Amino acid sequence: MITMRKKRFFTIGIFIVLMISSIVILDVSLISGSEEAKLNFEKESFSPSIPTESGVFRRSEFAMDYENMPENERLARKLKDYYGNRAYPGAPPVIPHPLLSEKGIGGQSCLQCHENGGYVDQFKAYTPVTPHPEMINCRQCHVSPKTDELFRLTNWTKTEHPDVEDNAALEGSPPVIPHTLQMRENCLACHAGPAAPKEIKVTHALRINCRQCHVPVQDLTTLKIEWDSTDQFFRKPK
Amino acid sequence: MNRREFIKRMAAASAITAAVAMFPGIVFAKEQMQNLPDGDILWKKSPCRFCGVGCGLKIGLQEGKAVAVKGDPESSVNKGLCCVKGYHSVMALYAKDRLTKPLVRKNGKLVETSMEEALDLVASKMQGTIDKHGKNAVSMYGSGQWTIPDGYVASKFMKGAIGTNNLEANARLCMASAVTGFLSSFGMDEPMGCYEDIDHADVFVLWGNNMAEMHPVLFSRMLDQRMQRKNVKIIDLATRTTRTSTASDRSILFKPQTDLAIANAICYEIINNGWMDTGFVKNHCTIKKGKTNIGYGLEDKFAFKDEAKGIDFEEFKEFLKDYKPEDIQELTGVSAKDIKYLAYLYGSPNQKVTSFWCMGMNQHTRGTWINNLVYNIHLLVGKISTPGNSPFSLTGQPSACGTVREVGTLTHKLPHGVVMNEKDRKMAAEIWKVPVENIQPKPSLHTVEMFRALDRGDVRFMWIQVTNPMVTMPKLKRYREAAQKDDRFIVVSDVYPTPTTDIADVVLPSAMWIEREGMYGNSERRTQHFDQLVDAPGESMSDTWQIIEVARRMGFEKLFPWTYDNHIEEIWKEYSLFHKGKKHGMVPLEVLKSEPGAQWPYVDGKSTKWRFHGKYDPACSKGDTYDFYGKPEGKAWIWARPYEPAPEEQDQEYPFLLNTGRVVEHWHTGSMTRRIPVLHQAVPNGYVELHPEDAKIMGVRNGEKVKLTSRRGEIELPASINERGKPVRGHVFVPFFDEGLLINELTLDAFCPISKQPDYKKCAIKVGKA
Amino acid sequence: MPIKSYLVFPHVGKKEILIETLGDLNWCEILPSENKELIVLVTDTKNENEEEKCFKIINTIPALDHLTLVSGFEENANNVNK
Repeated sequence: MITMRKKRFFTIGIFIVLMISSIVILDVSLISGSEEAKLNFEKESFSPSIPTESGVFRRSEFAMDYENMPENERLARKLKDYYGNRAYPGAPPVIPHPLLSEKGIGGQSCLQCHENGGYVDQFKAYTPVTPHPEMINCRQCHVSPKTDELFRLTNWTKTEHPDVEDNAALEGSPPVIPHTLQMRENCLACHAGPAAPKEIKVTHALRINCRQCHVPVQDLTTLKIEWDSTDQFFRKPK
Repeated sequence: MNRREFIKRMAAASAITAAVAMFPGIVFAKEQMQNLPDGDILWKKSPCRFCGVGCGLKIGLQEGKAVAVKGDPESSVNKGLCCVKGYHSVMALYAKDRLTKPLVRKNGKLVETSMEEALDLVASKMQGTIDKHGKNAVSMYGSGQWTIPDGYVASKFMKGAIGTNNLEANARLCMASAVTGFLSSFGMDEPMGCYEDIDHADVFVLWGNNMAEMHPVLFSRMLDQRMQRKNVKIIDLATRTTRTSTASDRSILFKPQTDLAIANAICYEIINNGWMDTGFVKNHCTIKKGKTNIGYGLEDKFAFKDEAKGIDFEEFKEFLKDYKPEDIQELTGVSAKDIKYLAYLYGSPNQKVTSFWCMGMNQHTRGTWINNLVYNIHLLVGKISTPGNSPFSLTGQPSACGTVREVGTLTHKLPHGVVMNEKDRKMAAEIWKVPVENIQPKPSLHTVEMFRALDRGDVRFMWIQVTNPMVTMPKLKRYREAAQKDDRFIVVSDVYPTPTTDIADVVLPSAMWIEREGMYGNSERRTQHFDQLVDAPGESMSDTWQIIEVARRMGFEKLFPWTYDNHIEEIWKEYSLFHKGKKHGMVPLEVLKSEPGAQWPYVDGKSTKWRFHGKYDPACSKGDTYDFYGKPEGKAWIWARPYEPAPEEQDQEYPFLLNTGRVVEHWHTGSMTRRIPVLHQAVPNGYVELHPEDAKIMGVRNGEKVKLTSRRGEIELPASINERGKPVRGHVFVPFFDEGLLINELTLDAFCPISKQPDYKKCAIKVGKA
Repeated sequence: MPIKSYLVFPHVGKKEILIETLGDLNWCEILPSENKELIVLVTDTKNENEEEKCFKIINTIPALDHLTLVSGFEENANNVNK
C-alpha cells in the first residue's frame, strides 16, 4: 500500500512540477478557502460572486469563429489604446463613445453590443467584448467622460502596464498571465476576436483550456528564475 | 521587504500552488499567506472610503504609494466587486491642491503656519470662548466619515472633559430619522438583518431609493440573485424615473411625502385580506400612537417631544380606514391596483420580502414616521429578523453607523445610551474617569439648531471635521453668513480646500483614510479596520490625533494618555467597554485586523447576522422565537402614524417641487470625487433634470441654462432632459455635489420634529429659462 | 545565494515532530498545511556548499518520509542558467 502511495505521489509530483514549470503564484481561491485556526472565532463563509475560475471556458463556443476571422490591421485596437482608457492597469475602462441611454441597464443597452461584439459602422471599430456579461449594472463601474478638463490637477501617475514582449519564463515557453484575473477570468473575451488588441491576441483560440499552459503571475520580468530540470524529485535514501 | 525576502515568498508561493494542485482543498495558515507576493504590488485590505455599503477593498501598494484597487474577494459585503468610486478611490489621495500645512486667518487671509502654532491657537480660542461665554458656546461638528476613534475621542473630549453636549455630526442630515425610527419601533438602533438577506429574499421593495446609483454594489447583488433565481422581483417605488426604475421589474411613481399614506394603505390591505400574521402580532408587538400635527421646526428653538399612547388593534384598524387604496389614489398618484399589488407582495405567505431605503425616507419632515410605517408592514406580516425578511435602512457614509450611531456623536448620545439616562452617564463617567457631574443630562443643540445658535451668537466656536457644511446645510445663506460673523471662530479639519475651509479661521490638514489607522462601521453592523498603508502628506495629522493634541493643550492630558503608536488600540479597548455583552459586544481588534470586518453583536467569537430572533441572536431570551429585547416585554411597537403634508407645497408663485440627491460618480459634496479625473470628467458639473414636457413648454433644450428660484435663493444650472433621471411633470431634480452650483441655497431647513433631520427632497421653486 | 522551495511529506503521525525539527534549522522556513500531511519548506542558504549540506541534513531527519523540489531561485541575477 505504502509503496503504491509513494508511487502515486511520484507520478503526481512529476506531473505537477512539469505543469507549473514556469512560475507561480498565490491563488485567490486558496486564501478564501483558508481558515484561521489560532484565533478563537468563526470565519464567515460564503461563496464569492467572483470565483476566479468561473469564466475560463466562457466564449469558447466562438473559438472556431475567432480562428476563421480575417485580420483587419486598420481597425485593430492597439494595446496603447486599450490601456489608455484605464486609470491604472486593471481599472475599469471608461466608455469612449456616446451612449444609447443614460438610464440603461445591461441587456437593454451596453450588452446589446458588448456581449458578443461585432463591427459598428458608426465608430468604425469592432466592439470589445466584456469578460463579465452577467453583471448588468454596467454603469456602476464604467463611466463616460463628458470633458477632458480636470477639476483640480492631480499628482496621480499611472503604473506601467505589463510588458507583452518579455513575459515567458524561458525562451519559447508559454507567456504567463501578467494581470490579476479578478473580473477578467474569461480569457477569450479580450484575447481573441477582432476587437482584441493585436499585441495580446492569441494565435490559437481553439485551444480552449488557456490556463493549462498560461499561469497567472504579476510582473514576472522583475525576477530571474532558475529551474532545475534534473533534480525534480528527491527521495530520501533509506 | 528586501529582494531576498521577496524571492523567498515567491518560492513559497510556487510550492503552495503545487500543493493546491495536488490536494485540492488544502489549507495553510492565513497569516503566512498574506505576505505572499502578487507581482511587485503589495495588496492590503481596507474598507472603501466612500459610502455606507462598506465594500472591502484590496489596495495595491507600490513604492510607498497606493497605485491600484481591486474588490476584496474575501469580503462578504461586495465579494470582489466595487463601484467606479471604489475602483478609483485611491486617486482621491493625490490631487495637487491637497492641504499639507495648517492655515490661519490673518488680516482676512489664510496663511500657512506650523502645526504647533495652529493647535495652540485652536486650544486657546476654545478655552477663551469657554471662559468668556460658557462651555455651551463651543461646539464640534463631525461626520459619518469620522473613523470610530475620531468620534470616540471627540465624544470623550466634548462630553466627558469639557462637559457640553454641543457635539453633532453630519449624520444628523442623513441618518437621524433611521435612528429614531429604530428606537421608537424596536428600542435598539441599526438594522436587525444584514446584506445576506439579499441572497434569501424573493421580493425587494425600494422605497425612494435609487440603489443602482447610490448603493450599486448591493444593487448588483440583487440583480445577480434575480438572474440566478427566477422568482426574484425588484419593485422601485419612487418619485422619479432613474436607472433603478429601468432595472426593476416594476416602477411605481408616487407624489413626494405620500409614502406615509401608501405605507398605511398597504397595512390596510394586509389586514383586510387576512394576510396579517395574527400570532406574530399578538405575541411580539404592541400598538402605539403618538402626537399628530407635530410641526416642521422652521422656527428657532423649536422643541417637540413625542408621547406614545397604547391603543388596541381595533383602534389601529379604525385609524387605517382613512387609507383605503381607492381613497388615496389622488393624494398619492398611485393606483389602487398598484397599492394592492404591493400589499400582496408583502402579504403573500410564501414570499420573503426585503425593503430597502435611504435618504428618500430619512430626509423627510416625517422621517421617523415613515420609518415606523415600513416597520409596521414587516411586523404585521411577521417578515422580519429572519433571512430574507428584512426592513433594511441603508446608510450613505462609511461610518455613519460605526461612529455617529454606535459611538454616539450626537447631542443626546453617549457611547452607551443617552445623556438623559443617569445610568448611562455614570457608566461613561466611570470608563472615562471623569466626575459624573461633567456629563450634562440635557441634550443641547442638534445640527440645524447648532448653526442657528451660531447665527444668534449662542455658539461662538465651532470645530468642523471631515465634512463640508457650507455645501450641505439647507437654507445655506443663513448659515454661511452666521459662520462669517464677527466674533465667531471656525476651525476646519479637512484634506482639500472647500467652501467650508473658505469660511474657516483655522484650517488643519488631515490625514485621510489609509494615511492613518482606523475603523469604519457600515450599514449592516459590520466593523472594519484599516492599517496606515501610506504616509500622510506634509504636516497632515489624523483627526483623532488633532483632537488629542488640543485636549492635552487644554489640560486634559490624563484623559488622553496614549502614545501615537498605541492610541488606536487603546481607544478600541476603552470604547469596547461601553458595549460589553450579548446585545452589542464589539469585535476584538485582532479579529478586525485579520478579517475584512465582522458584525456586532459579536458573541463567543461569532458575528450576529440577524438580531431579535433566538435562532440567530444569542441575546434573545425567549427560546427559538422572536425577542425584541430593546422594548419592554420583548415586543416591537407598531405605530399609528398619519399622513401629514410637507411644509412647503407647490403654489401659483412657486409651482415646481425641487428634489436633491446624488449621482453614482460623485460622493456627497465631491471634494474627493471631483478630484478623481475619471469621475469628474464623467459628471463635470451640477445640472437640473426637467421633465421633457416642462422643458418644451419653457423652450429649454438639453444643456441650456435654467434658472431656479425658491423663497430662499436662486441658481442657474444647465438643463438635463431625459438623461440620467426623469422627474415627473412639475418636479425637478438637482444633484448637490457641485460647490460651484450650490443647490442648498434654495432648500428649506424644515426637519422631522422627532429626528431633527432636514428634508432635502421637497421644497417649492419656480423654474424658467435663464 | 540559492533559495529553494520543497513540498515535504512526513511519516504518518510525525508532522508535528518534523515541523519542530525543520524549524530548528537556521536555513529553513516552513509553512505547514493546516489540514493535510504536508509542509511547504523554503531553504535559504549562502552558497552551493551550504545548500548541499542543508539538503543532506534535512534528508537525515527520521520523521521525514520524502520531499519534492518545486522551485529554485538564484539571487545573483546574471547566473540564470548555471
